Amino acid sequence: MLFAVAMIVFPFGYALVLSMQDFVFGHDAHFVGFGNYVRMAGDPQVRLALVLTVELWLVSLALQLVIGTWLGLLLARMRRGRGLARAVLVSPFMLPPVVVGMMAIVILDPSFGIANWLLGLMGIAPRLFLASPDTVILTLAGIDTWQWAPFVALIVLGGYLSLPSDVFEAAAIDGAAGWRRFRYVTLPLLAPTIVTAAVLRSVDLLRFFDIIYITTAGGPGYASTTLNILAYRRGFEFFDIGYATATMVALAAVVFGTTLAFARIRRAVRW
Amino acid sequence: MVGRRIGVWFDRLMLALVLAVLVVPVLWVGLSAFKPRTEVAALPPHLFVRPTLENFVELFGRTDFGQNTLNSLIVATGSTLLGLGLAAPASFAMAWHRLSWPATATLFARMAPGALFLLPWFLMFSDVGLTGTHLVLILTHAVITLPVGVWVLLPYFEAMPRDLVESAQVDGASSMQALLKVALPVAMPGLVVAAILCFVFSWNYFLFALVLSGFNTKTAIVASFNFVGEGVTNWGALMAAAVVIALPPLLLTLLIQRRLVAGLASGAVKG
Repeated sequence: MLFAVAMIVFPFGYALVLSMQDFVFGHDAHFVGFGNYVRMAGDPQVRLALVLTVELWLVSLALQLVIGTWLGLLLARMRRGRGLARAVLVSPFMLPPVVVGMMAIVILDPSFGIANWLLGLMGIAPRLFLASPDTVILTLAGIDTWQWAPFVALIVLGGYLSLPSDVFEAAAIDGAAGWRRFRYVTLPLLAPTIVTAAVLRSVDLLRFFDIIYITTAGGPGYASTTLNILAYRRGFEFFDIGYATATMVALAAVVFGTTLAFARIRRAVRW
Repeated sequence: MVGRRIGVWFDRLMLALVLAVLVVPVLWVGLSAFKPRTEVAALPPHLFVRPTLENFVELFGRTDFGQNTLNSLIVATGSTLLGLGLAAPASFAMAWHRLSWPATATLFARMAPGALFLLPWFLMFSDVGLTGTHLVLILTHAVITLPVGVWVLLPYFEAMPRDLVESAQVDGASSMQALLKVALPVAMPGLVVAAILCFVFSWNYFLFALVLSGFNTKTAIVASFNFVGEGVTNWGALMAAAVVIALPPLLLTLLIQRRLVAGLASGAVKG
């Protein structure tokens, strides 16, 4: 309890206080009430960061849920080799994010990376990947999907294996097969599982930090400066502590709100 | 019948493709770590070169990476012990008294962006002069490991027959003794999973060590990131570092892969 108070409750309260001050490191702090939040509302950089955060979140989430569900159901159909597949599937998301970032840097390097060389073999023009503002978000979404779609797949597999099999037998007798079976039987039954996966991924994606910071540090320009990156840089590079904390509190509120919204959705799809 | 067999082979083919996409980048990095530095960035890539340890020799000889790895070990072990030391009695009490709000509260710590705590911590620990010690990193990483421990252990304690603990109490055991002598041995499998997850999470964690570690306590994760930041063009040493920091989590998770996903998803399933 003492630990929780000292390390979590107190810092959180402190953060709330800081977010209401115009504290810049080396200067005196003044209480400004909701001034920082008002400043955020009119700050074009915050707006851009919010748009990028949402973009990265939605693109990655969509990719991971679709690929993960497909892969999970594919695994459920396999009779053999599931153990080996599982061993491979857990690896990406247990790798340190720093390693994933380093892999991305080396493989996706525009001139020396193997990715462009492979594309060249297939006659496709080289891409800039992380180095272009047009593709950086999509590339980051791709990296995160590489890492976490297997996680979604394993959750879906677990959910599928715990479903009662007589439902599928009944569906088979009724003649439901292929797409219809998926759409009207499997998907509704799996919906709570998929929503669970969506919550877990959303919490991580909204505060996605490590791999962005490692590969692009928010660049090129500000093209991958999400809210989390923006707050970090304002806090630890410009020491604009009050304003940075206010940004973090706002982000925490977004994460929290999203989770609550998903809890609603899950209640709606429960069967 | 024939259509079905084609379907099975198609599934196998798709699964093999997915696994290749997941494995090849990791293997590529692993392979690069053992190539002579002149070969690492060669395109077209030379697959069969005489393997060498020169990248590792350079990594450990020319930099402090040995010390960094040791720091990572100290911090990960310390925060695992601290996190579990707190999580075991906490989750035991929660299961016993059927409390759910403390578990929900730890979920909040897991949901908030790390940087939200980081700014207050940074100011707090600067005030007490603790920045740059192992203790700071152990304390802050325990904020990550504590919720993981609670959520992994909780189902094990909840599934435990109440008579077991009650009979121990009838025999005069205090609740701490009941936990240590009766409950924990029964929950041993859960404890192992929790310990491994805590260790890996702490080992992989980037943000807190990035800001709070000093020159002598820098973790291997942060040191690797610095290699990237310094624009080290020696990809060989970079890849060697990646191999060193990727091995512990990969090996450890292989031990518990079957329960891993359940452990990671715990907390969201109930919420």
